[in-house]
Amino acid sequence: MRSIVLGPLLRLVPVGLVALSIQRVVFAAHPVFHDVKLQFVLALVVAAGAGGGADRGAVAGFVLGLMYDISGNTPLGLMALAYGLGGMTAGYVHSFTPDPQWWLASIFAFFGAAVGEAAIPVAEVITGENGWLTSEVKWTIPIVAGFAALMCPLLMPVGRWMMGVKRKKWKAMLE
Amino acid sequence: MFSSLSRRRVILLVVLTCVLLITLDKRGNPVIDRTRGVFARIIQPFDTATRAISLPIERAWNGVTNYDDVERENEALRDQIEHMKGNDVEARSAVLEYRELLKLNQLTSKFQFDTVAAQVVGESPSNFQNTVEINVGSRQGVAVGMPVTDGAGLIGRITKVFPTRSIVLLLTDPEFSIQAQVLTADDAPTGTSSPTESTTLSGIPISDLTSSTTSTSTTTTTRPLPEGLEPLPTTTVAGQPGATTPAQSTTTSTTTPEVVRETGLLEGQGADKPMLLRFVDTNSSNSNVKVGAIVDTAGGNSGLAPQGIPIGIITKVERQTGSSASRVEVTPNASLKRLNFVAVVLYVPNQDAVGK
Repeated sequence: MRSIVLGPLLRLVPVGLVALSIQRVVFAAHPVFHDVKLQFVLALVVAAGAGGGADRGAVAGFVLGLMYDISGNTPLGLMALAYGLGGMTAGYVHSFTPDPQWWLASIFAFFGAAVGEAAIPVAEVITGENGWLTSEVKWTIPIVAGFAALMCPLLMPVGRWMMGVKRKKWKAMLE
Repeated sequence: MFSSLSRRRVILLVVLTCVLLITLDKRGNPVIDRTRGVFARIIQPFDTATRAISLPIERAWNGVTNYDDVERENEALRDQIEHMKGNDVEARSAVLEYRELLKLNQLTSKFQFDTVAAQVVGESPSNFQNTVEINVGSRQGVAVGMPVTDGAGLIGRITKVFPTRSIVLLLTDPEFSIQAQVLTADDAPTGTSSPTESTTLSGIPISDLTSSTTSTSTTTTTRPLPEGLEPLPTTTVAGQPGATTPAQSTTTSTTTPEVVRETGLLEGQGADKPMLLRFVDTNSSNSNVKVGAIVDTAGGNSGLAPQGIPIGIITKVERQTGSSASRVEVTPNASLKRLNFVAVVLYVPNQDAVGK
Protein backbone atom coordinates (compact mmCIF):
# COMPACT_ATOMS: atom_id res chain seq x y z
CA MET A 1 0.00 0.00 0.00
CA ARG A 2 2.77 2.37 0.99
CA SER A 3 4.55 1.72 -2.29
CA ILE A 4 1.39 2.58 -4.23
CA VAL A 5 0.84 5.89 -2.42
CA LEU A 6 4.45 6.94 -2.54
CA GLY A 7 5.00 5.50 -6.00
CA PRO A 8 3.45 6.48 -9.34
CA LEU A 9 0.12 7.78 -8.00
CA LEU A 10 1.80 10.51 -5.98
CA ARG A 11 3.37 11.82 -9.18
CA LEU A 12 0.53 10.95 -11.55
CA VAL A 13 -2.05 13.17 -9.88
CA PRO A 14 -0.13 16.49 -9.81
CA VAL A 15 1.33 15.94 -13.29
CA GLY A 16 -2.15 15.01 -14.46
CA LEU A 17 -3.64 18.20 -13.00
CA VAL A 18 -1.12 20.34 -14.85
CA ALA A 19 -1.62 18.40 -18.11
CA LEU A 20 -5.39 18.63 -17.75
CA SER A 21 -5.22 22.39 -17.17
CA ILE A 22 -3.08 22.79 -20.30
CA GLN A 23 -5.61 20.70 -22.23
CA ARG A 24 -8.62 22.65 -20.92
CA VAL A 25 -7.17 26.12 -21.27
CA VAL A 26 -4.81 25.97 -24.24
CA PHE A 27 -5.68 23.07 -26.54
CA ALA A 28 -9.47 23.11 -26.02
CA ALA A 29 -9.64 26.77 -27.01
CA HIS A 30 -7.49 26.44 -30.11
CA PRO A 31 -8.69 23.74 -32.45
CA VAL A 32 -6.49 23.14 -35.47
CA PHE A 33 -7.16 21.68 -38.91
CA HIS A 34 -10.82 20.56 -39.34
CA ASP A 35 -11.58 21.93 -35.86
CA VAL A 36 -9.80 19.03 -34.21
CA LYS A 37 -8.68 19.66 -30.64
CA LEU A 38 -5.21 18.28 -29.99
CA GLN A 39 -5.11 15.95 -26.99
CA PHE A 40 -2.25 16.78 -24.66
CA VAL A 41 -3.33 14.40 -21.91
CA LEU A 42 -3.53 11.51 -24.36
CA ALA A 43 -0.07 12.42 -25.66
CA LEU A 44 1.23 12.21 -22.09
CA VAL A 45 -0.49 8.86 -21.54
CA VAL A 46 1.00 7.25 -24.65
CA ALA A 47 4.41 8.71 -23.84
CA ALA A 48 4.17 7.11 -20.38
CA GLY A 49 3.16 3.84 -22.04
CA ALA A 50 6.00 4.01 -24.57
CA GLY A 51 8.44 4.78 -21.77
CA GLY A 52 7.21 2.33 -19.15
CA GLY A 53 5.45 -0.57 -20.87
CA ALA A 54 1.90 -1.74 -21.48
CA ASP A 55 0.82 -2.20 -17.85
CA ARG A 56 2.17 1.18 -16.74
CA GLY A 57 0.60 2.80 -19.84
CA ALA A 58 -2.76 1.26 -18.95
CA VAL A 59 -2.55 2.55 -15.36
CA ALA A 60 -1.44 6.05 -16.49
CA GLY A 61 -4.30 6.11 -19.01
CA PHE A 62 -6.77 4.96 -16.40
CA VAL A 63 -5.79 7.57 -13.78
CA LEU A 64 -5.46 10.52 -16.20
CA GLY A 65 -8.64 9.44 -18.01
CA LEU A 66 -10.52 9.36 -14.71
CA MET A 67 -9.34 12.90 -13.97
CA TYR A 68 -10.47 13.93 -17.45
CA ASP A 69 -13.91 12.41 -16.83
CA ILE A 70 -14.30 14.01 -13.42
CA SER A 71 -13.43 17.46 -14.76
CA GLY A 72 -15.82 17.28 -17.71
CA ASN A 73 -19.14 16.05 -18.92
CA THR A 74 -18.22 12.52 -20.00
CA PRO A 75 -19.49 9.52 -18.02
CA LEU A 76 -16.95 8.59 -15.35
CA GLY A 77 -14.76 5.78 -16.67
CA LEU A 78 -15.29 6.42 -20.39
CA MET A 79 -12.10 8.37 -21.03
CA ALA A 80 -10.32 6.20 -18.48
CA LEU A 81 -11.16 3.14 -20.57
CA ALA A 82 -10.19 4.79 -23.87
CA TYR A 83 -6.94 6.26 -22.56
CA GLY A 84 -6.12 3.04 -20.74
CA LEU A 85 -6.34 1.19 -24.08
CA GLY A 86 -4.23 3.89 -25.73
CA GLY A 87 -1.50 3.72 -23.07
CA MET A 88 -1.47 -0.05 -23.20
CA THR A 89 -1.13 -0.09 -27.02
CA ALA A 90 1.77 2.37 -26.93
CA GLY A 91 3.43 0.28 -24.23
CA TYR A 92 3.66 -2.75 -26.51
CA VAL A 93 6.83 -1.20 -27.92
CA HIS A 94 8.54 -2.90 -24.97
CA SER A 95 7.66 -6.28 -26.48
CA PHE A 96 10.20 -5.47 -29.21
CA THR A 97 12.92 -3.78 -27.21
CA PRO A 98 13.28 -2.92 -23.51
CA ASP A 99 14.79 0.49 -24.30
CA PRO A 100 13.14 1.81 -27.48
CA GLN A 101 14.71 4.51 -29.64
CA TRP A 102 12.82 7.82 -29.81
CA TRP A 103 11.49 7.17 -33.31
CA LEU A 104 10.26 3.69 -32.45
CA ALA A 105 8.54 5.06 -29.35
CA SER A 106 6.95 7.77 -31.51
CA ILE A 107 5.57 5.20 -33.93
CA PHE A 108 3.98 3.25 -31.09
CA ALA A 109 2.74 6.50 -29.54
CA PHE A 110 1.03 7.24 -32.86
CA PHE A 111 -0.80 3.93 -32.83
CA GLY A 112 -1.55 4.18 -29.11
CA ALA A 113 -3.07 7.65 -29.52
CA ALA A 114 -5.06 6.48 -32.55
CA VAL A 115 -6.48 3.58 -30.55
CA GLY A 116 -7.20 5.86 -27.55
CA GLU A 117 -8.97 8.52 -29.63
CA ALA A 118 -10.91 5.99 -31.71
CA ALA A 119 -12.05 4.20 -28.56
CA ILE A 120 -13.92 7.29 -27.30
CA PRO A 121 -16.75 7.37 -29.89
CA VAL A 122 -16.91 3.58 -29.86
CA ALA A 123 -17.29 3.56 -26.06
CA GLU A 124 -19.88 6.35 -26.34
CA VAL A 125 -21.92 4.28 -28.78
CA ILE A 126 -21.72 1.29 -26.42
CA THR A 127 -22.91 3.43 -23.50
CA GLY A 128 -25.81 4.79 -25.53
CA GLU A 129 -24.46 8.19 -26.59
CA ASN A 130 -24.83 7.93 -30.34
CA GLY A 131 -23.91 10.48 -32.95
CA TRP A 132 -20.13 10.85 -32.71
CA LEU A 133 -19.07 7.88 -34.81
CA THR A 134 -19.18 9.90 -38.04
CA SER A 135 -16.94 10.53 -41.03
CA GLU A 136 -15.24 13.35 -39.09
CA VAL A 137 -13.33 10.68 -37.17
CA LYS A 138 -11.17 10.20 -40.26
CA TRP A 139 -9.65 13.62 -39.55
CA THR A 140 -9.71 13.54 -35.77
CA ILE A 141 -7.80 10.30 -35.26
CA PRO A 142 -4.75 10.92 -37.52
CA ILE A 143 -4.35 14.52 -36.34
CA VAL A 144 -4.52 13.60 -32.65
CA ALA A 145 -2.24 10.60 -33.22
CA GLY A 146 0.25 12.68 -35.20
CA PHE A 147 0.43 15.25 -32.43
CA ALA A 148 1.03 12.51 -29.85
CA ALA A 149 3.83 11.06 -32.01
CA LEU A 150 5.48 14.47 -32.29
CA MET A 151 5.21 15.13 -28.57
CA CYS A 152 6.38 11.65 -27.57
CA PRO A 153 10.16 12.35 -27.46
CA LEU A 154 9.50 15.44 -25.30
CA LEU A 155 6.97 13.85 -22.99
CA MET A 156 8.59 10.43 -22.60
CA PRO A 157 11.02 11.57 -19.84
CA VAL A 158 8.06 13.14 -17.98
CA GLY A 159 6.08 9.93 -18.47
CA ARG A 160 8.95 7.79 -17.20
CA TRP A 161 9.42 9.97 -14.13
CA MET A 162 5.67 10.04 -13.51
CA MET A 163 5.48 6.25 -13.57
CA GLY A 164 8.67 5.76 -11.55
CA VAL A 165 10.59 4.05 -14.36
CA LYS A 166 14.33 4.24 -14.38
CA ARG A 167 16.13 4.08 -17.68
CA LYS A 168 17.91 0.80 -18.05
CA LYS A 169 21.66 0.85 -17.79
CA TRP A 170 23.30 -1.77 -19.92
CA LYS A 171 26.41 -3.42 -18.60
CA ALA A 172 28.80 -5.71 -20.38
CA MET A 173 28.42 -9.31 -19.35
CA LEU A 174 31.14 -10.57 -17.11
CA GLU A 175 33.16 -13.42 -18.47
CA MET B 1 2.80 -2.09 -7.62
CA PHE B 2 3.40 -3.52 -11.05
CA SER B 3 5.73 -6.30 -10.08
CA SER B 4 3.12 -7.94 -7.86
CA LEU B 5 0.47 -7.99 -10.58
CA SER B 6 0.81 -9.59 -13.96
CA ARG B 7 0.17 -7.48 -17.08
CA ARG B 8 -3.10 -9.22 -17.90
CA ARG B 9 -4.42 -8.73 -14.40
CA VAL B 10 -3.62 -5.00 -14.43
CA ILE B 11 -5.37 -4.54 -17.77
CA LEU B 12 -8.37 -6.62 -16.72
CA LEU B 13 -8.64 -4.64 -13.48
CA VAL B 14 -8.56 -1.34 -15.38
CA VAL B 15 -11.24 -2.42 -17.86
CA LEU B 16 -13.57 -3.84 -15.21
CA THR B 17 -13.21 -0.76 -13.00
CA CYS B 18 -14.04 1.49 -15.96
CA VAL B 19 -17.14 -0.52 -16.86
CA LEU B 20 -18.29 -0.44 -13.23
CA LEU B 21 -17.75 3.33 -12.97
CA ILE B 22 -19.57 4.03 -16.26
CA THR B 23 -22.53 1.96 -15.05
CA LEU B 24 -22.62 3.77 -11.70
CA ASP B 25 -22.36 7.23 -13.27
CA LYS B 26 -24.95 6.52 -15.96
CA ARG B 27 -27.46 5.50 -13.30
CA GLY B 28 -26.77 8.67 -11.32
CA ASN B 29 -24.64 8.55 -8.22
CA PRO B 30 -24.50 11.33 -5.61
CA VAL B 31 -20.97 10.33 -4.51
CA ILE B 32 -19.65 10.77 -8.06
CA ASP B 33 -21.47 14.10 -8.40
CA ARG B 34 -19.92 15.31 -5.14
CA THR B 35 -16.49 14.14 -6.29
CA ARG B 36 -16.90 16.16 -9.48
CA GLY B 37 -17.73 19.23 -7.38
CA VAL B 38 -14.63 18.77 -5.22
CA PHE B 39 -12.43 18.17 -8.26
CA ALA B 40 -13.79 21.31 -9.92
CA ARG B 41 -12.51 23.30 -6.96
CA ILE B 42 -9.14 21.55 -7.00
CA ILE B 43 -8.50 22.17 -10.68
CA GLN B 44 -9.63 25.80 -10.67
CA PRO B 45 -6.30 27.25 -9.40
CA PHE B 46 -4.44 25.15 -11.98
CA ASP B 47 -6.68 26.53 -14.74
CA THR B 48 -6.18 30.07 -13.49
CA ALA B 49 -2.40 29.65 -13.41
CA THR B 50 -2.31 28.11 -16.90
CA ARG B 51 -4.53 30.93 -18.21
CA ALA B 52 -2.30 33.55 -16.60
CA ILE B 53 0.73 32.09 -18.38
CA SER B 54 -0.86 31.34 -21.75
CA LEU B 55 -3.02 34.45 -22.20
CA PRO B 56 -0.22 37.03 -22.71
CA ILE B 57 1.50 34.70 -25.18
CA GLU B 58 -1.76 34.13 -27.03
CA ARG B 59 -2.56 37.85 -27.15
CA ALA B 60 0.89 38.73 -28.44
CA TRP B 61 0.62 36.08 -31.14
CA ASN B 62 -2.86 37.25 -32.15
CA GLY B 63 -1.64 40.85 -32.18
CA VAL B 64 1.07 39.96 -34.65
CA THR B 65 -0.85 37.58 -36.91
CA ASN B 66 -4.49 38.72 -36.81
CA TYR B 67 -4.32 42.52 -36.52
CA ASP B 68 -5.48 43.25 -40.09
CA ASP B 69 -8.29 40.72 -39.93
CA VAL B 70 -9.56 42.13 -36.66
CA GLU B 71 -9.53 45.69 -38.02
CA ARG B 72 -11.47 44.60 -41.13
CA GLU B 73 -13.93 42.64 -39.04
CA ASN B 74 -14.42 45.64 -36.76
CA GLU B 75 -15.35 47.86 -39.68
CA ALA B 76 -17.78 45.27 -41.04
CA LEU B 77 -19.38 44.91 -37.62
CA ARG B 78 -19.82 48.69 -37.30
CA ASP B 79 -21.66 48.72 -40.63
CA GLN B 80 -23.79 45.81 -39.50
CA ILE B 81 -24.71 47.60 -36.27
CA GLU B 82 -25.88 50.66 -38.22
CA HIS B 83 -28.11 48.45 -40.37
CA MET B 84 -29.49 46.65 -37.35
CA LYS B 85 -30.44 49.81 -35.43
CA GLY B 86 -33.48 50.25 -37.64
CA ASN B 87 -34.56 46.64 -37.23
CA ASP B 88 -34.10 46.88 -33.48
CA VAL B 89 -36.71 49.62 -33.05
CA GLU B 90 -39.20 47.63 -35.09
CA ALA B 91 -38.46 44.45 -33.14
CA ARG B 92 -38.88 46.16 -29.78
CA SER B 93 -42.32 47.42 -30.65
CA ALA B 94 -43.25 43.93 -31.90
CA VAL B 95 -42.06 42.40 -28.62
CA LEU B 96 -44.13 44.88 -26.60
CA GLU B 97 -47.21 44.04 -28.65
CA TYR B 98 -46.48 40.34 -28.22
CA ARG B 99 -46.24 40.70 -24.44
CA GLU B 100 -49.54 42.58 -24.37
CA LEU B 101 -51.19 39.80 -26.33
CA LEU B 102 -49.72 37.13 -24.07
CA LYS B 103 -51.00 38.96 -21.02
CA LEU B 104 -54.45 39.32 -22.57
CA ASN B 105 -54.59 35.62 -23.41
CA GLN B 106 -52.97 34.55 -20.09
CA LEU B 107 -50.24 32.61 -21.85
CA THR B 108 -46.75 31.87 -20.55
CA SER B 109 -43.63 32.95 -22.38
CA LYS B 110 -39.89 33.35 -21.96
CA PHE B 111 -40.44 36.90 -20.70
CA GLN B 112 -41.91 35.62 -17.45
CA PHE B 113 -38.65 34.05 -16.33
CA ASP B 114 -35.65 35.74 -14.79
CA THR B 115 -32.22 35.19 -16.26
CA VAL B 116 -28.73 34.97 -14.78
CA ALA B 117 -25.92 36.48 -16.81
CA ALA B 118 -22.83 34.31 -17.18
CA GLN B 119 -19.55 34.18 -19.01
CA VAL B 120 -18.12 31.23 -20.88
CA VAL B 121 -14.90 30.24 -19.12
CA GLY B 122 -14.00 27.03 -20.89
CA GLU B 123 -14.78 24.68 -23.73
CA SER B 124 -14.93 20.92 -23.85
CA PRO B 125 -11.39 19.55 -24.02
CA SER B 126 -12.57 16.50 -25.96
CA ASN B 127 -13.30 16.15 -29.67
CA PHE B 128 -16.42 14.15 -28.88
CA GLN B 129 -18.35 16.53 -26.64
CA ASN B 130 -19.99 19.84 -27.55
CA THR B 131 -20.07 21.59 -24.23
CA VAL B 132 -18.97 24.86 -22.67
CA GLU B 133 -18.36 25.78 -19.08
CA ILE B 134 -19.93 28.93 -17.59
CA ASN B 135 -19.08 30.78 -14.40
CA VAL B 136 -22.43 30.47 -12.59
CA GLY B 137 -23.72 27.52 -10.61
CA SER B 138 -26.11 26.37 -7.94
CA ARG B 139 -25.29 29.38 -5.75
CA GLN B 140 -26.84 31.64 -8.40
CA GLY B 141 -29.93 29.43 -8.66
CA VAL B 142 -28.87 27.48 -11.73
CA ALA B 143 -30.23 23.92 -12.01
CA VAL B 144 -29.88 21.00 -14.40
CA GLY B 145 -32.05 21.33 -17.50
CA MET B 146 -32.30 25.13 -17.61
CA PRO B 147 -32.04 26.66 -21.09
CA VAL B 148 -29.11 28.94 -21.91
CA THR B 149 -29.30 31.73 -24.47
CA ASP B 150 -27.12 34.43 -25.92
CA GLY B 151 -28.18 37.56 -27.79
CA ALA B 152 -29.02 35.57 -30.91
CA GLY B 153 -31.02 32.72 -29.40
CA LEU B 154 -30.82 29.36 -27.65
CA ILE B 155 -27.35 27.87 -27.28
CA GLY B 156 -28.03 24.79 -25.15
CA ARG B 157 -29.05 23.54 -21.75
CA ILE B 158 -27.40 22.95 -18.39
CA THR B 159 -26.31 19.36 -17.86
CA LYS B 160 -24.10 19.58 -14.78
CA VAL B 161 -24.14 22.09 -11.96
CA PHE B 162 -21.43 22.84 -9.42
CA PRO B 163 -21.55 25.58 -6.76
CA THR B 164 -19.87 28.24 -8.89
CA ARG B 165 -19.86 26.83 -12.41
CA SER B 166 -22.00 24.79 -14.76
CA ILE B 167 -21.63 22.74 -17.90
CA VAL B 168 -23.80 23.63 -20.88
CA LEU B 169 -24.56 21.01 -23.53
CA LEU B 170 -24.60 22.93 -26.81
CA LEU B 171 -27.49 22.41 -29.18
CA THR B 172 -25.29 20.91 -31.89
CA ASP B 173 -24.29 17.97 -29.66
CA PRO B 174 -25.86 14.68 -30.84
CA GLU B 175 -27.20 14.19 -27.31
CA PHE B 176 -29.18 17.44 -27.49
CA SER B 177 -32.83 17.49 -28.51
CA ILE B 178 -35.64 19.94 -27.87
CA GLN B 179 -39.26 20.50 -28.82
CA ALA B 180 -39.34 23.22 -31.46
CA GLN B 181 -41.91 25.01 -33.56
CA VAL B 182 -41.72 26.48 -37.02
CA LEU B 183 -43.70 29.59 -37.82
CA THR B 184 -44.28 30.13 -41.50
CA ALA B 185 -46.35 32.73 -43.25
CA ASP B 186 -48.62 30.83 -45.61
CA ASP B 187 -48.76 33.57 -48.25
CA ALA B 188 -49.57 31.35 -51.19
CA PRO B 189 -52.61 32.54 -53.17
CA THR B 190 -55.19 30.13 -51.83
CA GLY B 191 -58.94 30.32 -51.35
CA THR B 192 -58.54 31.19 -47.70
CA SER B 193 -56.72 34.45 -48.25
CA SER B 194 -59.17 37.32 -48.42
CA PRO B 195 -58.55 40.48 -50.37
CA THR B 196 -58.70 43.48 -48.07
CA GLU B 197 -58.09 46.23 -50.56
CA SER B 198 -59.00 46.56 -54.18
CA THR B 199 -58.37 49.66 -56.29
CA THR B 200 -58.72 50.38 -59.98
CA LEU B 201 -56.30 52.80 -61.50
CA SER B 202 -55.93 54.03 -65.04
CA GLY B 203 -53.48 56.14 -66.95
CA ILE B 204 -50.51 55.34 -64.69
CA PRO B 205 -47.33 53.83 -66.08
CA ILE B 206 -46.81 50.23 -64.97
CA SER B 207 -43.36 50.96 -63.63
CA ASP B 208 -44.70 53.74 -61.39
CA LEU B 209 -47.57 51.63 -60.24
CA THR B 210 -45.51 48.67 -59.14
CA SER B 211 -42.98 50.80 -57.33
CA SER B 212 -45.48 53.00 -55.49
CA THR B 213 -47.75 50.32 -54.04
CA THR B 214 -46.98 47.90 -51.23
CA SER B 215 -49.38 45.17 -52.19
CA THR B 216 -48.44 41.52 -52.20
CA SER B 217 -50.03 40.78 -55.57
CA THR B 218 -50.68 42.93 -58.60
CA THR B 219 -52.92 42.05 -61.55
CA THR B 220 -52.70 44.00 -64.77
CA THR B 221 -55.51 43.78 -67.32
CA THR B 222 -55.56 45.40 -70.77
CA ARG B 223 -59.08 45.68 -72.19
CA PRO B 224 -59.70 45.42 -75.98
CA LEU B 225 -61.00 48.69 -77.45
CA PRO B 226 -64.58 48.75 -78.73
CA GLU B 227 -65.06 49.33 -82.44
CA GLY B 228 -65.30 52.96 -83.60
CA LEU B 229 -63.60 54.43 -80.52
CA GLU B 230 -60.37 56.39 -80.55
CA PRO B 231 -57.41 54.83 -78.80
CA LEU B 232 -56.95 55.97 -75.20
CA PRO B 233 -54.37 58.66 -74.48
CA THR B 234 -50.89 57.34 -73.82
CA THR B 235 -48.34 58.42 -71.21
CA THR B 236 -44.61 58.80 -71.77
CA VAL B 237 -42.19 57.39 -69.25
CA ALA B 238 -39.83 60.14 -68.10
CA GLY B 239 -36.29 59.70 -69.19
CA GLN B 240 -37.21 57.17 -71.84
CA PRO B 241 -38.22 59.09 -74.96
CA GLY B 242 -40.44 57.10 -77.19
CA ALA B 243 -41.30 54.55 -74.62
CA THR B 244 -45.01 54.75 -74.26
CA THR B 245 -47.52 52.72 -72.29
CA PRO B 246 -51.19 52.54 -73.15
CA ALA B 247 -53.67 53.50 -70.47
CA GLN B 248 -54.56 50.46 -68.46
CA SER B 249 -56.95 49.21 -65.91
CA THR B 250 -54.98 47.82 -62.96
CA THR B 251 -56.38 45.90 -59.99
CA THR B 252 -54.33 45.83 -56.82
CA SER B 253 -55.18 43.48 -53.99
CA THR B 254 -53.49 42.97 -50.63
CA THR B 255 -53.70 39.61 -48.83
CA THR B 256 -53.05 38.99 -45.14
CA PRO B 257 -50.63 36.03 -44.77
CA GLU B 258 -51.79 33.23 -42.50
CA VAL B 259 -49.21 32.06 -39.95
CA VAL B 260 -48.85 28.27 -39.81
CA ARG B 261 -47.31 26.61 -36.72
CA GLU B 262 -45.68 23.21 -37.01
CA THR B 263 -44.03 21.41 -34.10
CA GLY B 264 -41.30 18.82 -34.04
CA LEU B 265 -38.18 17.57 -32.36
CA LEU B 266 -34.93 19.37 -33.09
CA GLU B 267 -31.76 17.30 -32.71
CA GLY B 268 -28.07 18.13 -32.84
CA GLN B 269 -25.81 16.33 -35.29
CA GLY B 270 -22.37 17.34 -34.11
CA ALA B 271 -20.22 20.44 -34.29
CA ASP B 272 -20.28 22.40 -37.57
CA LYS B 273 -23.31 20.51 -38.75
CA PRO B 274 -26.84 21.90 -38.98
CA MET B 275 -29.49 20.57 -36.64
CA LEU B 276 -32.12 18.12 -37.83
CA LEU B 277 -35.84 18.80 -37.39
CA ARG B 278 -38.27 15.88 -37.20
CA PHE B 279 -41.90 16.87 -37.39
CA VAL B 280 -44.69 15.33 -35.37
CA ASP B 281 -46.76 15.32 -38.55
CA THR B 282 -44.47 13.92 -41.23
CA ASN B 283 -46.43 15.65 -44.00
CA SER B 284 -45.64 19.08 -42.54
CA SER B 285 -42.21 19.25 -44.09
CA ASN B 286 -43.69 18.64 -47.53
CA SER B 287 -46.38 21.26 -47.41
CA ASN B 288 -45.72 24.29 -45.25
CA VAL B 289 -42.09 24.32 -44.22
CA LYS B 290 -39.84 26.40 -46.40
CA VAL B 291 -36.23 27.48 -46.40
CA GLY B 292 -35.84 30.65 -44.36
CA ALA B 293 -38.60 29.85 -41.87
CA ILE B 294 -37.89 30.72 -38.24
CA VAL B 295 -37.55 27.94 -35.67
CA ASP B 296 -38.05 28.61 -31.96
CA THR B 297 -38.78 26.66 -28.79
CA ALA B 298 -42.23 25.12 -28.58
CA GLY B 299 -42.63 25.23 -24.79
CA GLY B 300 -45.35 23.11 -23.21
CA ASN B 301 -45.31 20.76 -20.22
CA SER B 302 -42.76 18.40 -21.70
CA GLY B 303 -40.64 21.19 -23.16
CA LEU B 304 -37.14 21.93 -21.92
CA ALA B 305 -37.57 25.68 -22.45
CA PRO B 306 -40.38 28.23 -22.43
CA GLN B 307 -42.06 29.01 -25.70
CA GLY B 308 -40.61 31.57 -28.05
CA ILE B 309 -36.85 31.42 -27.61
CA PRO B 310 -35.41 31.69 -31.13
CA ILE B 311 -33.24 28.74 -32.17
CA GLY B 312 -32.41 29.14 -35.84
CA ILE B 313 -33.51 29.25 -39.43
CA ILE B 314 -34.37 26.43 -41.81
CA THR B 315 -31.59 26.28 -44.37
CA LYS B 316 -32.43 23.11 -46.26
CA VAL B 317 -35.53 21.07 -46.98
CA GLU B 318 -34.59 17.91 -48.81
CA ARG B 319 -37.18 15.51 -50.10
CA GLN B 320 -36.32 11.87 -49.45
CA THR B 321 -37.17 9.10 -51.82
CA GLY B 322 -39.35 6.40 -50.35
CA SER B 323 -40.51 8.50 -47.41
CA SER B 324 -43.27 11.02 -46.89
CA ALA B 325 -41.06 13.05 -44.56
CA SER B 326 -38.40 15.48 -45.75
CA ARG B 327 -35.02 16.10 -44.21
CA VAL B 328 -35.21 19.55 -42.66
CA GLU B 329 -31.94 21.18 -41.58
CA VAL B 330 -31.82 24.11 -39.18
CA THR B 331 -28.83 26.40 -38.73
CA PRO B 332 -28.62 27.92 -35.23
CA ASN B 333 -28.83 31.70 -34.90
CA ALA B 334 -26.16 31.76 -32.23
CA SER B 335 -22.54 31.55 -33.25
CA LEU B 336 -21.51 28.65 -31.03
CA LYS B 337 -17.80 29.06 -31.68
CA ARG B 338 -17.71 32.63 -30.41
CA LEU B 339 -19.64 32.42 -27.20
CA ASN B 340 -18.71 34.85 -24.48
CA PHE B 341 -21.58 36.29 -22.44
CA VAL B 342 -24.68 34.14 -22.12
CA ALA B 343 -27.85 34.09 -20.01
CA VAL B 344 -29.31 31.17 -18.10
CA VAL B 345 -33.11 31.30 -18.15
CA LEU B 346 -34.28 30.34 -14.66
CA TYR B 347 -36.94 28.02 -16.00
CA VAL B 348 -37.07 24.66 -14.32
CA PRO B 349 -38.31 22.18 -16.91
CA ASN B 350 -40.27 19.05 -16.22
CA GLN B 351 -37.79 16.58 -14.71
CA ASP B 352 -39.10 13.75 -16.92
CA ALA B 353 -38.21 15.85 -19.96
CA VAL B 354 -34.73 16.52 -18.57
CA GLY B 355 -34.24 12.79 -18.12
CA LYS B 356 -35.02 12.20 -21.80
